[in-house]
Order: sequence, then C-alpha cells, then structure tokens
Amino acid sequence: MIPSDHFVRFYNEVFKFLDERDGLRDYYDEISRHQDFHCQKLFKEKGLEGVEEYYRKIRVEENCDMDIELDGHELLLRMNRCPSLSKAIDNDAGACPKYCMHCPGWVHPLYTRVGLYDVYDLKGLDEPACTEYISDDLEVARARRDELLKIRPKEQIICNFE
Amino acid sequence: MLRYQENNELHRDFHGTTNTTLDYIVERYGVEALKEILHRTGHDVYKSIREKLEKGDASELVEHLNWFYHREGAPYQLTVTEDEIRFEVFECPAHRHLKALGLPVSRHSCLQTGEVNAGMCEGTRWEASLEKVGDDHCVQIFRRRKAE
Repeated sequence: MIPSDHFVRFYNEVFKFLDERDGLRDYYDEISRHQDFHCQKLFKEKGLEGVEEYYRKIRVEENCDMDIELDGHELLLRMNRCPSLSKAIDNDAGACPKYCMHCPGWVHPLYTRVGLYDVYDLKGLDEPACTEYISDDLEVARARRDELLKIRPKEQIICNFE
Repeated sequence: MLRYQENNELHRDFHGTTNTTLDYIVERYGVEALKEILHRTGHDVYKSIREKLEKGDASELVEHLNWFYHREGAPYQLTVTEDEIRFEVFECPAHRHLKALGLPVSRHSCLQTGEVNAGMCEGTRWEASLEKVGDDHCVQIFRRRKAE
C-alpha cells in the first residue's frame, strides 16, 4: 500500500513517466472520469454550492490553506498554500515540472460535463499557490478571464471555455 | 527519524486514485511499466530509508511501517529481529477503503507494496518479499542478506 499521505509523491512519479511519453492529457481524462464518482452528482445537482461543499471537505482532508468564497454566480477557491505541490517539492525524488497541470487537467473536463466554467490562475508551476474562479454563467467567467489576462501572463490562465 | 512524517488529516480517497492509476498504466503501458514507476517511487522517494539500509540501519524503515499503517488504522503485527523485519497486515487499509466506497480493487494493487519495498532495498544488503495470505492480508518481509 502506498499510504494516502504519500499518494502525491507517487502521482508525481507517474507524471514524470507519462510526460516522457506525451501521455499526460489522456491520463488526466482518466482521473477526471474517476473523479466523477466523487463529484459529478453533487456538482450537477447543487451546482456551485455542490462544488463549495466538496472543497470544504477537501480543505480539511487534504490540509489545505484555502479560502472558499461563493458570491452569486462565482465561486472563488484561493489556495494560499497547496499541500499537494508542497509535498511534491518536499520530496527526495524531486517535483515533476508540470506537476500543477494535473489540477486543471482533471477538473476542467469534469466542470464541462456538469455545465460549469472555470478560470485557473496558476501563478507559477513552482509556487504552491493558485486561484480558481468557477462560474455557472459563461459571461461571468469570460469577464473574469479577460480581467486576469490584463495583469497575468496568458500561459498561467487556463480555462475550460473559449 | 522519518524523512516524511505527516501527522494531520488523511484523504483516504487517494487510494481510489491510486487504484485507477494502477489499472490505467497497465492497460496503456503494460505491467512492467507499472513496476518501473513503483520501483522508482520506492528507490527515489524513500531515498532516506534506502540510504540508511545501505549502512545497515533499518530504523527508519521500521518507523515508516509503524507510523503510516497506524495512521491508516490497519490491524498489523510488526516483528523485528537483527536480520529480519516481518510486517503482517491483517486487513489492507487501502482495500478496506476501496470496498467501503464500492470500488473494485485493482488486481495489480499488491504491486504497490512489493515494488516500492524492492525499490527501497535496491543496492542494499536487504531484500524484500511479499507473501499474500488472502486478498487483503499479507506479510511484508525484509531480510538482511549474509555478507559475501
């Protein structure tokens, strides 16, 4: 058994293996389908409130320093210190340079399946902090993306919509 | 002393993601690829345990087994002698969690233990083996090889 405490460091080795074979995108899709088991019904039935409920549980279980704010048509998840990348960095095997990409990699297809729009501000792939803006209104999401693109490099703003 | 010693909340659903990953890697890349990743995890992530084993010191390995299986709530028995560490896990906590969720356990699940342990021991005078007693019950054995 890989302890659940050390899953992240195993995940990190999987990313390294797959990245060498250009296989990350397909793997993210598989993880996304697996996460349907935990999230899809909740997100579909409760919308943003369901996403908020899920992340309030995750905040405790994964020991996240994260602000969660639901305001009308937008849910903000501000990860002040990501426990996942922090563990991948605090690791004798070294972090996969693309480690952060797994988060939008799996959540975006899931949000798309349940009709939600997401803007990810990754800040930097070596910085264990990011902000996510999730909306049930495409215009709200587009406005958020456009606002962020004025102040952040476009490579760090990742969306699940055009 | 442990190199990694988490002491806060557990997210046991990670066992589900691991389980999905084991099957995914085998289906796309074959079982040898999975073994390679797990072995590398044991070798590189647990470098501190491995380096101590190289010096003949199994203390971190013993502490690692005790700490993380205790945190997962596993029923187990650990027996340590000078040349052998015998760690019997009566019910695998990962399997228990998967079953509680209603998810099928990957048939490659026990490679996690066997390959990670082998990776930890690589290049040392210790060798790891795994005896499966039942689907969720195993004995992990670490033996010190005699000097040549």
